[in-house]
Amino acid sequence: MDSTGAGVWVFGDYADYFQNRVTLQLIAKAKSLAKVLETGVGVVVLGEGVSQYVMEYAAHGADMIFIADHPDLKDYDVELFTSVTASWVELFSPEIFLAGATPFGREFFPRLAKRLKTGLSADCVALEIDPETGLLVQTTPAFGGELLADIVTPEHRPQMATVHPGIFKELQHDPFATAVVVYPQVPSLPSRKIELIRRRRERSRKASLKEAKVVVVGGKGMGSAAGFEKLFHLAELLEGEVGATRPAVTAGWAGEERLLGQTGKNIKPRLVISIGTSGAIQYTAGIQGSEVVIAINRDHRAPIFGMADLGLVGDAQSIVNLLIEELNRRI
Amino acid sequence: METKRSLVSAHHNYMVNGMLTPGFVLGEPEGKDGFYFLADMVLPGESTPRISGRFFDENGVFLFELVWNRLTRNPSRCVHKAIPTGFQVYRVSGETVLKVSTGRFPNGYLTFLEGRLFDSMGTIRMEQEGQGTKINGDALLVLSSPYQNGSEGNND
Repeated sequence: MDSTGAGVWVFGDYADYFQNRVTLQLIAKAKSLAKVLETGVGVVVLGEGVSQYVMEYAAHGADMIFIADHPDLKDYDVELFTSVTASWVELFSPEIFLAGATPFGREFFPRLAKRLKTGLSADCVALEIDPETGLLVQTTPAFGGELLADIVTPEHRPQMATVHPGIFKELQHDPFATAVVVYPQVPSLPSRKIELIRRRRERSRKASLKEAKVVVVGGKGMGSAAGFEKLFHLAELLEGEVGATRPAVTAGWAGEERLLGQTGKNIKPRLVISIGTSGAIQYTAGIQGSEVVIAINRDHRAPIFGMADLGLVGDAQSIVNLLIEELNRRI
Repeated sequence: METKRSLVSAHHNYMVNGMLTPGFVLGEPEGKDGFYFLADMVLPGESTPRISGRFFDENGVFLFELVWNRLTRNPSRCVHKAIPTGFQVYRVSGETVLKVSTGRFPNGYLTFLEGRLFDSMGTIRMEQEGQGTKINGDALLVLSSPYQNGSEGNND
């Protein structure tokens, strides 16, 4: 049994934090599992300068946060993260340990499970506690998705699972929340076998507007093909896609496949940043299902401000340049 | 293995002894003339830290008193100056006594403290350590509610 009062652990995967919400979604699910087991939720956070993520996890329901704020952990490194986390699991004995099925989670968790000599269910779509046995029932697609398999880990601990982003819903941010923070000793770390020289995002030009969580939309106000081109850079930094209004497509700045609105695509992303668009109904019909719309336009009377959650009045290109500069600084 | 514990607020924290804490106290704020330093808890809706204290130099000579970031007694004519991230108080010689600097995250705040604080015996009580602050001697390192509302918090 865990020795901390936090028997359900979640790995704090904070890469691309504001796009990747899977850790927050798992904290919410872990809360419901922990309630059944009458224990708490612990989040493991490894890295350097991780204070803001620690505070975010507290705000989203973590009861206890295990932190290693260490310069050698500044970059995700499977070997170092496995070494630290395995020693903490052996020390605190959590019952359950969950991680997002992110690129790092998929690499890290199998290795951790192997080190801990326990099982791992990958890409789970549901997690519940069996009321009779108290075991974690891990539901995962099997046989190419034809079947759903319920898996339990009856003997070994922790019971480990990875879960796709978007399966569970995160709890609301609570600024009044507090959490206990624990700073366990970091064991002596193995020397790095890989040195990270630089980080670069792959640039994708394939329009997947329907799936994108963030869509940057450009209109005539981008001024030129070169001005519009900057939107691709901005979208790349936000891990989003680029959409266009009819005037931008007619001007040849974007292909027809990026057209939004009555004669183009309808999208429902989490965030639309509508830049240099007037807000004609032919266009806004295509973004009405978006969760949040931010509008940037020089003309404060532009109709787009009528539907925007946040409006910025100013020169579209200057604001795009500032956004790119700031996002580049943060990466 | 050694395991340190503290408390973290979702809204605002100080970095002290390499740990996050919503607030902490050194010395006796209720005393009349002795040393104390209070980094009080900041509640949602507020963004500036609440710093109070009686400050002394390395010889135990009283320099000034700060109450909620404002100088209330200042026999040594120290200078209180606003900076973009907070404020600092320095001696006429230019030496910084205390610098309070708050960083803003998308959903919260983290305050760093810089300076060398001495008590009335000239004993060093707080000094710089990396980006954070190291505390010497007895302290209440975790406040779970605002101190100046009358609660004394909990030492977790």
